[in-house]
Amino acid sequence: MSHLFEHNGAKGQGYSQPAPVLPASEITLPSGLSRKALPRWPRLSEPEMVRHYTWLSKRNFGIDTGFYPLGSCTMKHNPRVNEVIAQIPGIADIHPHQPEHHLQGLLSIFHEMQYMLEVCAGMDQVTLQPVAGAQGEFTAVRCIQEYFRLRGEDQRTKVIVPDSAHGTNPASAAMCGFEIVEIPSRTDGRIDLDALRAVADDTIAVMMITNPNTLGLFEEDILEASSIVHGVGGQMYYDGANFNAILGITSPGLMGFDAVHFNLHKTFSQPHGGGGPGSGPIGVKQHLAQFLPGPLVGKRTANEDELHAAVDENWYHWYQPTHSIGKVQQWHGNAGAIIRCWAYYRRYGRGLRTMSEHAVLNANYLRHAIHKATKEAGVDSLVVDGAEAKVAKHEFTLSLAPAKEAHGISAMDVAKGLLDMGYMAPTVYFPLVVPECMMVEPTETESKDTLDTFATDFAEVLQVDAETLHAAPVTTPVRRVDEVYAARNLCLRHPYDDE
Amino acid sequence: MVDQLPNLGREAEMLAAMGMTSIEELFADIPSEVRMKGDLPLPPPQSEEEILSDARRLLGANVALGERVSFLGAGLYRNYVPASVFQLVTRGEFLTSYTPYQPEVSQGMLQAMWEFQTLISELVGLPIANLSLYDGSTAAAEALTCSVRVHTRKATQKDTVYVSELTPPDRLSVMQNYCQGAEIKIKFLRHNDDGTLDMDSVSEAIGSCGVYVEQPNPLGLLDGGVTQLKEILGEHTALIVAVQPVSLGLVEAPGHYGADIVVGEGQPLGSPITGGGPIYGIFACSKPYLRLMPGRIVGRSIDVDGNTAYCLTLSTREQHIRRHRATSNICTNETLIALMGAMHMALLGPEGLYDLAVRNMTACIMGKQKLQAVDGVHIPHSSGDHFNEFAIELPGTAKDCLEYLDSVGIVGGFDLSLWYPERTNWMLVTFTDQTQAKHIDLLIEHLSGWVSTLEVAA
Repeated sequence: MSHLFEHNGAKGQGYSQPAPVLPASEITLPSGLSRKALPRWPRLSEPEMVRHYTWLSKRNFGIDTGFYPLGSCTMKHNPRVNEVIAQIPGIADIHPHQPEHHLQGLLSIFHEMQYMLEVCAGMDQVTLQPVAGAQGEFTAVRCIQEYFRLRGEDQRTKVIVPDSAHGTNPASAAMCGFEIVEIPSRTDGRIDLDALRAVADDTIAVMMITNPNTLGLFEEDILEASSIVHGVGGQMYYDGANFNAILGITSPGLMGFDAVHFNLHKTFSQPHGGGGPGSGPIGVKQHLAQFLPGPLVGKRTANEDELHAAVDENWYHWYQPTHSIGKVQQWHGNAGAIIRCWAYYRRYGRGLRTMSEHAVLNANYLRHAIHKATKEAGVDSLVVDGAEAKVAKHEFTLSLAPAKEAHGISAMDVAKGLLDMGYMAPTVYFPLVVPECMMVEPTETESKDTLDTFATDFAEVLQVDAETLHAAPVTTPVRRVDEVYAARNLCLRHPYDDE
Repeated sequence: MVDQLPNLGREAEMLAAMGMTSIEELFADIPSEVRMKGDLPLPPPQSEEEILSDARRLLGANVALGERVSFLGAGLYRNYVPASVFQLVTRGEFLTSYTPYQPEVSQGMLQAMWEFQTLISELVGLPIANLSLYDGSTAAAEALTCSVRVHTRKATQKDTVYVSELTPPDRLSVMQNYCQGAEIKIKFLRHNDDGTLDMDSVSEAIGSCGVYVEQPNPLGLLDGGVTQLKEILGEHTALIVAVQPVSLGLVEAPGHYGADIVVGEGQPLGSPITGGGPIYGIFACSKPYLRLMPGRIVGRSIDVDGNTAYCLTLSTREQHIRRHRATSNICTNETLIALMGAMHMALLGPEGLYDLAVRNMTACIMGKQKLQAVDGVHIPHSSGDHFNEFAIELPGTAKDCLEYLDSVGIVGGFDLSLWYPERTNWMLVTFTDQTQAKHIDLLIEHLSGWVSTLEVAA
């Protein structure tokens, strides 16, 4: 067990630097601002540094390591050419404040991405600025807030969120200053129209909803829900976390939504990198477009004297929406992630529907295969569907409540057992409406063989005795981690010897 | 798309296993009223080679700063990032992992982030750091709302924070968007003619929840007065200092002169500027802010065998547990870019950081020495010490000057009228470790040339 701070060479800088343009003796600093002691950083040579991080990487599980069926997170394969493209100096080494004629390539790609997302979502205008899904939610709700302020509808102080929603929905709306009205879902996780009608009045600003919902089921009553909310003058917000299930099949626009965020990193592809970066553009209908954060990218026919810098017959330019809420990130969003997602969408083009079809095919196939395998192994009494449904969309839920009741085996125990089988575990204990929930999302990039093997292995884990499962995992770099100990004995940085 | 879909051609077999005959049956739950008619109006699918070729053509049309001589910074700084950082960060185990919800198989990233927290903590002189926010502007905005959560109960100026009037409008706009929901009032601290903070205006902030200043300030000025702020403000007002992290190889860590929260654009450590994202925001704080701070934190723990193990901790602050009462809505952050930061810091070591800071600051000093000698160019805050950049006042507009310099292949700097509309003749000129003496000579030559065209015209 080693860590970075064990390395303390005499002055083993990891890389040598050129001499400064002037000697350090030329430097003067205001009184009291001269640093007295340098940070106690480690000293590593390059070989030591490379070995340290290679060792750490081997103690980490990624999609490249194995099957990663983490529901809601869409852990699909990340094509490597996207990483090559992101290193091109024309994206890696450009500054957002460069003039437009330096950035025509970037601007044309941004324009193409705005258009692509608009037609996929059935929205009128997209901004690429928000840098994560949660920030997209926040941005869209802010735009709607300004829309109502301009209309003088200040009494709209509430946002409706189903109890099965992602935690970011209520958190984002609360950050905008809204009061949260949580409505119960039906037992299948779908929206309860009566519960919605009961709270719908002219104090409602927005309803936030995910479709397919967080149980992976399509909200068949979505048009009716939209009609109820619009009927009281509210706006419909589409959480795009599950948009990858429906591309080219339906769209938020067709379902009656006014605003939507995209998790570009999930629907398309940007490696999640242990928790980020992401990219969370939003799309809105025309009546909200003037409130979007700026600048947006527009185009016009290029003038004669511009053609030398143009990438086609058009001139791409920034412009500000008239009643813009301002900025949510200082620059132009996560341009590097947007480029990767552009490269990804180009692989499918008008065939994006096939991507969604295979995501849904794989999810339903795996759901079926798991039930078949557990039946054949005689353990089908231990696991049930999280919700009754003929078909799921891109993900599905299982409940381990029967296993818990019969043998004291929890969803977490099964998750840890799957780690021992060489898999990343599905999402556990979300959504909260399913007891002992396990949410499984295979994505479209897993082969039938992988899905078959996983189903068999899943059934095998359910045959393991409770005591063994409580002790799992045993084959991982560390065994079950004590999260309570971590919270009670906070150690958030390396304790130096004198501390 | 064929190369991305292993089950193309196996649809019938898979459907048959489910007792189905068509893909359409999988979508039977989507009502016909909401079905999309026809194909998406998008181009046909492309192969990897075609995409790469288009990317090279389009991105090749952008002017990469490395192709030019550049003095554009204004918040993003082109430092050299060592090759090993790129080699290691693209290892699939790091690159393609998710938030480490299963710590047993995520020890690598968890430990790397715990080490990152330590590196940042040491750098800024505060005991706690999270594992990144989106960028410097959102880190600053979250620091303001955090200061109100912690202090508003005892504050005499409730729900009120003060920020430097020099704060760039784009950064300020992010702060306003994050603050408006909690009805936080943002008031301004004034600056003196020499660029330093006006201490009288600081005393107006006594009793407020938080004070936000930047060191160096947005015009590159290092302000010794900032070290006096904590004494003036007292313990019930958060002192929030935003830093350019590389400067801390020379400049005192804000935590050592009383800062309660330190934020900043982490980019100069570990990341190319990438058009402004993805980069990473630094957020560090002292103990009283811990339980009300935003973002993910890694703690060191033990496993059932008593071995050292790492996991996410203090999650009860976060949206997936606390929902609308969370300290922030942040979920996805910038972990991978923070990892690049950690790798760069590990390679630098303390002395390497000092050397890097010296290279940045001496380039700036050389720039100032030579620009001072250009006729017609005035340096408004010339008496002060600058890191990376400083403002110059021109005999014409910065817009005209930048266009002229661009025509001779120089990215001359930043037009400060975009931040401060009345400063039409002010330009921010930036020098980093990538600036060489010959670059500065070229700038002087062409800037003098531009000034002489104005004289001829006059």
